[in-house]
Amino acid sequence: MNILVCIKQVLAAAVRVFPDADTRWIRSDSDEYVMNRFDEFAVEAALQLREALSDGRVDVISVGPERAEAVIRRALGMGADDGIHIITKTCGPIPPAVTAALMAASVRNRNYDLILTGVMSEDDMNAQVGPAMAEMLDLPCATAVIQIERRGISTVYVEREMEGGMRDALEIRLPALLSVQSGAHPPRYPSLSRMLRANRRPIETIPSTDLGMTAPDIHVVRTAFPGKTRAGYFLEGSASEKAAQLLKIFQARSLMR
Amino acid sequence: MTSTILVIAEHADGQIRPVTGEIVACARQLQQLQPADIRIVVLGDPVETLAETLSQKTGLPVDAIRTPHLAEYHGDTYRDVLTDFIKELQPRYICAAHTSQGLDFAPGLAVRIKAACITGVEAIVEADGEICFTRRICGGKLTADIASPNAQIVLSVLPGSFSADSSNATTAGAICYRTAISETSARTIPCGVLRSSVKASGITEADVVVAAGRGIGDRENIALIHRLTALFSGSAVAGSRIVCDQGWLDYAQQVGVTGFSVQPALYIACGISGAVQHVSGMRASGFIVSINSDPNAAIFNVSDICIVEDLKTFIPLFIETATSPHPD
Repeated sequence: MNILVCIKQVLAAAVRVFPDADTRWIRSDSDEYVMNRFDEFAVEAALQLREALSDGRVDVISVGPERAEAVIRRALGMGADDGIHIITKTCGPIPPAVTAALMAASVRNRNYDLILTGVMSEDDMNAQVGPAMAEMLDLPCATAVIQIERRGISTVYVEREMEGGMRDALEIRLPALLSVQSGAHPPRYPSLSRMLRANRRPIETIPSTDLGMTAPDIHVVRTAFPGKTRAGYFLEGSASEKAAQLLKIFQARSLMR
Repeated sequence: MTSTILVIAEHADGQIRPVTGEIVACARQLQQLQPADIRIVVLGDPVETLAETLSQKTGLPVDAIRTPHLAEYHGDTYRDVLTDFIKELQPRYICAAHTSQGLDFAPGLAVRIKAACITGVEAIVEADGEICFTRRICGGKLTADIASPNAQIVLSVLPGSFSADSSNATTAGAICYRTAISETSARTIPCGVLRSSVKASGITEADVVVAAGRGIGDRENIALIHRLTALFSGSAVAGSRIVCDQGWLDYAQQVGVTGFSVQPALYIACGISGAVQHVSGMRASGFIVSINSDPNAAIFNVSDICIVEDLKTFIPLFIETATSPHPD
């Protein structure tokens, strides 16, 4: 079974971000980029399927500027076989339908049995690329998948996560696309020796301009800090002063004796 | 010709989900900015009771599509049946729920009908003469207002963002029945809904919930959360999804969309970033105190008391303060 995993480079969760009026997007106080956490779970799921079946390959693909190469290298370090990088020029947000169309155009004739994506990206949070790409490639699709098992030669059994801990079970005919929810199989950490080897491997690069495609226009008009829904009173002073204030607040509200 | 805003009703277990009322509320708000008729479409088999409930509650016209053998949600069928219906109706906006169902069919539906798709809509605003849909980005730290000039737009409406009208409409809306001829798709075969074996571990009954998020950094620091929790009677330890994914806490302790919803008298969020998926499970708490080292953490927007400190030093300090003899 040949598996393709779609991965994205995002700002690390701890990086502070600010609205940027000039670009109508965001600026950050650091350039620390990592692999989208949900995509790490998708890579892990793919590697486990390959190991369980002891055949086939796991390739990864990413759409992004030059720096996105780092997450492809990381996936190779985790154990993926080959990487494809669709290089974009823009540093602003790419609409999810565009990302999906770019990847769909470049993998259409590569005969993958299974395409995995993360359930969403941590930065844009659209949760669209996977299901949109499935439609573009006319593949059956399930989203928020937390369990994947091979059933025979041409089917996978999957469980999708629904609200309140319920699961929706499906049998899906291959080839198919699944978006993977984070779950009980923590992504492996690439070993140093694997990373060193991964850094020497060639990565296939495709300029995004080579893939003629269009998608309905959606654009960002502005970004902002979210409004407050509660008082949001910030305690001031030293850490001990804040601790004393907090204790007083709890006592005044009879939350603590 | 007046344009149409189409609301796609969500149901499960034969019941209309409350989020459907919130999608209607979103559609009504959109109607203020862009005059249009609102219609509701519901798919199912049987569909009569669902349609009657919708028509009585909202007073809006309902298109009830009897879809043979479709008792529960099925992605391929929803996309097929809705595509045919939308091609005929040509609505300007198509509003679904930002839930495990809506997110499963809406992006693919948008591709098929060549519509723009904007997910996780929590507000509608007008800016620069355009109708914009506000959604969260960067784990909830920022919002982005999104617009599209496209002739059709599919929206997924974030649960908890628009207030549903709880009263029944004075006159019920007209119901138009039709039957879908859906080719049975052999690509995805439903194998049933699995009920959760995970029971909430006391977090739904507790008066005080102390919750750990990604900011706790290390498994060892869970002990700090337990020590803080022990200061309160009727208290329980909870966590965000990421902490449960790490195996640091059990899924029975997870608060959020995919876990449990809690509303204790006091909720203490320790190192929780405040992603929408978590907040929707705790925003109804009586009093919310948040500790986070990032002054811009989204959790502070939904908190009563905000403490910008490293919880690894602050929690021990607070425990010491609370357990030392009173100065007076």
